[in-house]
Amino acid sequence: MSETVVEADGLGAAYGGPPALSGVSFSLEPGQTLCVLGPNGGGKTTLFRVLAGDLEAQTGTARVDGRPAHLPQAERPRLDFPVSAFDVALMGSLAHGRWWLPPRGHERAAARRALKRVGLEASEHDRFGSLSGGQRQRVLLARALVQDARVLLLDEPLAGVDPASAERITALFAELRAEGRAVLVSTHDVDSARGFDRVLCLNRRQVAFGTPAETLGSDVLEATYGAEIVMLDDGRRAVTVQHHAPGEFHPPAAGRAAPGAPPDHR
Amino acid sequence: MRSFCIGKRLSRTILNYAPPLAAAPPSPLELVDLAFTRSALAELVLLAVAGGLLSGWIVLRRLAFFTHAAGTATFPGLVVAEAAGASPRLAALAVAGGYAGAVGHRPRRTGEGGDTTVALLLVVALAAGVVLAGDVFSSGAGVDSLLFGTLIGVEGGDLVVSSVVAALAVAATVLLGPVWAAAGFDPEAAQAAGVPVRRADLCLLALIAATVVAALPAVGALLVTSLLVVPAAAARLLCDRLSPLLAGAVAFALVQGVAGLYLALWLDVPPGPAVAAVGGLVFAAVACVHRPGRAA
Repeated sequence: MSETVVEADGLGAAYGGPPALSGVSFSLEPGQTLCVLGPNGGGKTTLFRVLAGDLEAQTGTARVDGRPAHLPQAERPRLDFPVSAFDVALMGSLAHGRWWLPPRGHERAAARRALKRVGLEASEHDRFGSLSGGQRQRVLLARALVQDARVLLLDEPLAGVDPASAERITALFAELRAEGRAVLVSTHDVDSARGFDRVLCLNRRQVAFGTPAETLGSDVLEATYGAEIVMLDDGRRAVTVQHHAPGEFHPPAAGRAAPGAPPDHR
Repeated sequence: MRSFCIGKRLSRTILNYAPPLAAAPPSPLELVDLAFTRSALAELVLLAVAGGLLSGWIVLRRLAFFTHAAGTATFPGLVVAEAAGASPRLAALAVAGGYAGAVGHRPRRTGEGGDTTVALLLVVALAAGVVLAGDVFSSGAGVDSLLFGTLIGVEGGDLVVSSVVAALAVAATVLLGPVWAAAGFDPEAAQAAGVPVRRADLCLLALIAATVVAALPAVGALLVTSLLVVPAAAARLLCDRLSPLLAGAVAFALVQGVAGLYLALWLDVPPGPAVAAVGGLVFAAVACVHRPGRAA
């Protein structure tokens, strides 16, 4: 039996009211990537909060190997906090369990290496809040690298990110997979899901879990997104329209969104 | 704590030392020459260290309202303790500590400051204190000193308490500062990383409560935020990094404390409100000269 680093069995969660998520069952092995698809309010963030230990499961069980590195949505960290990119990356060392002692030399070196790996070594002294959205995501990714977790939970890491940062971040997914880490990424972008090993479709419950070929058919996507999905190219491609006001949506040109490419709907 | 109920005799003594408004300013050396101003000065220096450091965390963690409410919450406790002959310091510590514990253990979804609860407690505590002082215990004469402090009357015990909280504030900033920063910056990620956010936050709230109690003799229940919020609020306008912000807050607390005490001596005004007023003026001056966009 192969090793699993993330496992959910009949998982459900709520915020004191009706269930925000129910019936979620899946498992991931080391080096696998999982794309979590679903509409706003579909339970993607709730799932990550349960896996991160921030929210208690109401039903079922969730197991994560070690402490996961959790990158919440980009607007969650405080932009007004007086910390530099280096300070943020160094916060990853707190996960090593010596939080009451000043960071050691090798931890500071690890923070610098992580910033270099995400292409921000020149910005280590810049205040976090002064960086662009894409740079901030890369700094948070650097913090996760310093944490050296086996499981990474990335909540919409490509939302609002400039193309250069998105390319860097998606390239890093492949590196992390090669290192044997499990990477869970939530997104609205259906096309980018095709580049992952597994796809989990949520709409307050588990709609589907499997390989992209098994899960990205029009029936599953329509069950996941309802009226928010538009199928293109005879069902071979799909885009979500939930973030567009009436009259704002323009379907992408044919061939623009290749599998695994950065999202094209924001 | 006799300093809370300083008598008229000491007040007259102080007034005899204080020059009239039109007089020339006294020598700054009088701050160290006179025994009671020397004690007041020492108290302000110790509170500048404790209050300055903690004010940085209070401002960054958005706990200013909590701090103000914790100070006000001690008011009815002080009145009851004075009437019952109990230790006002212990009564204040029990009330402020209990309040900090209640806030620290509140459900997390109620928001970081729990503003509604804090506001309710603020009103109830103030009203209960006034009713108890005026109608129940008839100790209205001491209300002013409970609310606004009697800095000139600080005693050895007050200095010991302030020394302890100053040492605790320094130690906690060194040991828990990175955790407080991580929890304030991104609490979900810090929690997920296994950082003991809740326990560290409880330590912060407890330390704030202890410092509030230590500051009561100097500035009273209503003006504790002048030492525990205003310094960092001013420093934050100038500093966009954590360490300079904390150092700047201590420096501003020292400046407003010493300047406030000096002005109180010169202008014959109560020292606690003078320290608070100088703090407000310093903040206003920094806000006027500060270039927008430079700091956080």
